[in-house]
Amino acid sequence: MTKLFKLKLIALAISSTLITACGDAETNIVEKDPIEVPDDHDHGDGDGDDHDHGDEYTIDSLGRLVVLAGDSNTASFFDLDDNALLDTFTLTNDSNTLSSSPDFRYAVITSRAQDYLGFIDGGLWREDHGEHLHDYKQSPAASSYELTNGSRPTHLVKHDGKLAIFYDGDATSGTVASVEVLTDSDITSATATLPGITYDINMHGVAEPRGEHLLSTIRRDDADSTSVAKVLPDQVGVYHFHDGEYELEQTLELTCPDLHGAAQNHDYVIFGCSDGVLLAHQYDDEYEAEKIANIDAVGDLRIGTIYGHEDSETFIGVASGHGGGPAVILSIDPASAEMEELEWQLADGASAVSYSFSANGEHFLVLDSLGFLNVLEAHEHDGHTHWELAGQVDITEEDVTTMPEGMKFSMTVAQNGQFAYVADPIAQHVVQVHLEDLEIEGELELTFPPAAITWLGIAEEEEDHDHDH
Amino acid sequence: MKRRSQLAVLIAALLPASVLAKTIEGIVLNNQGNAVTNATVEVEGTDITVTTDENGKFVIADLKNGLKELHIVAPGYAHLHSDITINNNEKQSITFNLKRSPIEVIDIEATPIHMSAMESASPVSVLSGEQLRRQQAATLGDSLEKLPGVNTNFHAKVASTPIIRGLSGPRVLITQNGLDVSDVSRVGPDHSVASEASTAQQIEVLRGPATLFYGSGAIGGVVNVVDNRVPTDSITRGEWNLEHNSVDNQKVASFNATTGTDSFAFYADAFWREADDYEVPVAPEVEHDDHDHEEHSGDYVVENSNEESEGFTVGASYLFDQGYVGMAVEQFNRQYGIPGHTHGGEEEHSEEEAVFADLDQTKVQLLAEYNFDNEWLNKINLRVGHTDYEHAEIEHGAVGTTFKNETNELRVDLMHNPFSEWNGGLSFHYKNSDVEAQGSEAFTPPSETESIAIALMEGKHFGDVLVQLGGRVERVTLDADNVLLPDIDAHPHDDDGHGHDHGHDHGSESSYTRVFDVEQEFTPVSLSAGAVWDFTPGYNLGLSVSRSERAPSASELLSFGPHIGTGTYEVGALFDIHDGHFELSDNPIDLETANNIDLTFRKTEGDIGFIFNAFYNQVDNYYYQVDTGLYAESGHSHGDEDGHDHSDEHDHSSELPVYLFKTDDVILHGFEAQVAWQLTDEFKVDLFSDYVRARLQDGGDLPRTPPLRFGTELSYETNNLSAHLHVTRYQEQDRTAPEETSTDGYTMLDASVSYDLSVLNQDLSLYLRGTNLTNTEARVHSSFLKDIAPRPGRSFALGIRGYF
Repeated sequence: MTKLFKLKLIALAISSTLITACGDAETNIVEKDPIEVPDDHDHGDGDGDDHDHGDEYTIDSLGRLVVLAGDSNTASFFDLDDNALLDTFTLTNDSNTLSSSPDFRYAVITSRAQDYLGFIDGGLWREDHGEHLHDYKQSPAASSYELTNGSRPTHLVKHDGKLAIFYDGDATSGTVASVEVLTDSDITSATATLPGITYDINMHGVAEPRGEHLLSTIRRDDADSTSVAKVLPDQVGVYHFHDGEYELEQTLELTCPDLHGAAQNHDYVIFGCSDGVLLAHQYDDEYEAEKIANIDAVGDLRIGTIYGHEDSETFIGVASGHGGGPAVILSIDPASAEMEELEWQLADGASAVSYSFSANGEHFLVLDSLGFLNVLEAHEHDGHTHWELAGQVDITEEDVTTMPEGMKFSMTVAQNGQFAYVADPIAQHVVQVHLEDLEIEGELELTFPPAAITWLGIAEEEEDHDHDH
Repeated sequence: MKRRSQLAVLIAALLPASVLAKTIEGIVLNNQGNAVTNATVEVEGTDITVTTDENGKFVIADLKNGLKELHIVAPGYAHLHSDITINNNEKQSITFNLKRSPIEVIDIEATPIHMSAMESASPVSVLSGEQLRRQQAATLGDSLEKLPGVNTNFHAKVASTPIIRGLSGPRVLITQNGLDVSDVSRVGPDHSVASEASTAQQIEVLRGPATLFYGSGAIGGVVNVVDNRVPTDSITRGEWNLEHNSVDNQKVASFNATTGTDSFAFYADAFWREADDYEVPVAPEVEHDDHDHEEHSGDYVVENSNEESEGFTVGASYLFDQGYVGMAVEQFNRQYGIPGHTHGGEEEHSEEEAVFADLDQTKVQLLAEYNFDNEWLNKINLRVGHTDYEHAEIEHGAVGTTFKNETNELRVDLMHNPFSEWNGGLSFHYKNSDVEAQGSEAFTPPSETESIAIALMEGKHFGDVLVQLGGRVERVTLDADNVLLPDIDAHPHDDDGHGHDHGHDHGSESSYTRVFDVEQEFTPVSLSAGAVWDFTPGYNLGLSVSRSERAPSASELLSFGPHIGTGTYEVGALFDIHDGHFELSDNPIDLETANNIDLTFRKTEGDIGFIFNAFYNQVDNYYYQVDTGLYAESGHSHGDEDGHDHSDEHDHSSELPVYLFKTDDVILHGFEAQVAWQLTDEFKVDLFSDYVRARLQDGGDLPRTPPLRFGTELSYETNNLSAHLHVTRYQEQDRTAPEETSTDGYTMLDASVSYDLSVLNQDLSLYLRGTNLTNTEARVHSSFLKDIAPRPGRSFALGIRGYF
């Protein structure tokens, strides 16, 4: 240290002797006319280049609606801005289910019995070009991409840009269960081999994609399984995406007998079991398991369907018997590990035909067989979230007993605003329901009975709605 | 040296000794009394250079009267200085005895005055010959990191740049044949240096302030890459190399060749290199390490660390009696992945996030040397360079940001005849750089920097003491007519992360971006004085003191925007925060000033040689970035992840911490030590250590300072076989800046063996080189990516090199 001190003295001596030789610095700043920034999504973009951000690349559209016909193998695409029919596509197979791709660009046509998934481009999508978001609007177009490798595609679960397809496999033919995970860009670029999981046995399972994780069910040897129906799994594995493949990294230590139904929010993934619900709480790369036992209200039913939303702290569980019948709707709060029966339940004689969270997660929608859209709203009381009925919208003027055989009302939620769309096979139309105002604000006439509908388009980035949890 | 000697031999041959009386004849012998062939004998302050023949003999003719200073250089020997007085019509015969030096002494070409590791007042290192070939890597930082005082900022193997005594970025100048390499590597750690080691002849490092020779940008040191692109002789020779490296499946091919006629010389080189993502011994991300039940099968790789480069240079020159003039053109292309370029968010494993850089440069250099027979001047050195650089960062297949740098440079060194025994000269230097960036990462506005400088360097031997003095005055102007100050919403992050007011005024009112026309003018002055005292034969003591000034760079002053390479939102020193808003700073922009002292103690000859350096560098007005604790939108949300309906409501992933350039007084001190012991003719042991402490005068440490390092190299060399074992220990670095974490120490074990043989009149060398033989997890504290990209795991390189 003394050496250092001496050096410092010398340095000081030098700097003082040379101070006269010190250089000079001069700064001249002239302020010019400021540039007005059209205030929009692009905050703080101090790039230094003059490209104009904002709306010139984005498209304002209500989106598109795909309607599966009840009387033919066709899917029709409508423009929701002017209700115009854009195109109708004939489908490959007879019995199809309709859903949307994870980023709502493509219609996903699933034919479970034919081991088939096909895609139709809705024609409305967004790309991120770095300095701006770029929206595209094109005509709907059939995609040649199809998935035919898995057996019995059953549960399709979307989350944050990813879709997990659970193929149940088939015990009779000895085909095993598997999972494939897909994004919209996989469809666009026709990715030949999707990442996923292949099991060594069949099961009626479910997989929840979650960033680089995939929580998927595990069916054990029948001798070990706690499930009564052995085709139902009783364990959950956490799979991690590494080097192009999913690897099992963790098996949750709690079992979930007769597992059926799953959902996730920002912190939890939960699964329905015959004895309650299994919670998987994420801590970075690890998940902690916890069980909420069934409450008395569940009775001899079991929670077999669960709905969740990224921004909703509570989940909605539907307890029912096997094969339908009466249902009990419950609110599940994973943070306090509690479930409770909703105050509001379906009216006598009504059964639910469709459930969904609204796009922003603030409402939960129950469409019933009597033609009512029941809109529930979350309220906070003493730190507890309660779901209460905000109102009912009567979506049909028809006599519901005249519902064509095998058909029902169906519903889809637009991801860019406050609208839900409900299809009425009796009136052969689709109504547009404003979820805040609880009013029907539009109608789309059809020339055929709708069997299923789904919304496609550009989902709204949820950045400006304030949650007060 | 070797190439100029040919010319001198030619001159000597043209002038018969019998005609000219003032002639020195001599013989150069080693300790055993054997002749030293190919030793170079140089007359200081003149261009007269000759080489010894197979009997160690040489003749220098055509000398004027007076005291002559001879400088004798031969590989493996200590340089020898000798003063000879020439009297009228006298023919002198002298015998020189060269002493062995286990530390290779090579003169550097970077400076107009004579400097080498053993003889100059300020410390220099040279990497050349076999040693350069052994240590060359894909990046300049990794090639040089075994030199004492030099570390790499190890940017995942793809863009590493050298750190000299803890300083890097705009404080370390990188030159090619003495002209600025003119890329954008000084602006961001993820930007690669546009220079190639595999075709270089030697790489020189000036540690400590070297502003005297190179101006502002060299306050921390200079790295000069020397090649023969403008050939100074026409002897046909060349070198080629093929290599494969296992850790990243790297394939390298390179060659360089020189040939020509009596009057014309031609040069060509080319290289090609391709590497995949490199393997690492552990999961690359630090967080993964906590995962004890992880059963990872197969190899870990650092994703997106692949690289592909190629380039070629052609040059030609005209050789004449008094010198040469020549020109060379280089085309350099490089594409490399930028690991960890995650756009401020969590690392995504998805392929589509991969960002890569595509770098293109065209470099034209004109070099000339003219030797006079003039009363005052004896030589003019001219260097002219023009470079056109472009570098695009490509995301999702589309160009995200483009950086451009167009530079014109001119250097003229006028070397005078010895003037009362002072040797030296005057140097004029002009440089103009037009730098611009476009795109989402264009955090610095377009700017033009122009500098004009004049410098004087002189040296004289006072008995046993060599005195070196120098001074430089420079005028730097920095013009930017479109400096933007956007009205950004910088805000702190609350603890709970929820419910805070993002203040995104989604109302109808517009915000304004203020625009400024900024003109800066700086007049940095540098002064340096040094002395080397040969106080006893075989030893010397050097002292060098300097005061250097640096004009801050455009990015340090004018930045305002997201810099994805460092994951920060950068704000230049022109701005400051007032009441939570960015305004023009009230503090004047001033020069950065370094007051540096270097002490050197050397043993220059014998079986043991050593060099010890200690330095103390006080830098006033040091420009550096401080964390403001605020966050700003990167304006750079990414790809395929949009449109997600369940987006995390307050997704901070597109926000970056705001770092503001401020100035403070900083002290850097440390040492470098090198000991070489020639045990037998075949065995040699080298030991080295270096250390730097970089701290703020008012307390606190600077970030990314390399830790204490020590190591050894054991060499075994015979005519045909050479083997090297290299062990380096990097200690833990726990002197960290706020927001920085400490880094564990590690030990690197490298070994190489090469065998020389002669096939079809060609000298071939087959070699096998192993690096990180213990497959240890090595995280480089000085790297921005230390937590996501450790050094490569165990690797074996197999190669063949040929000489003709």
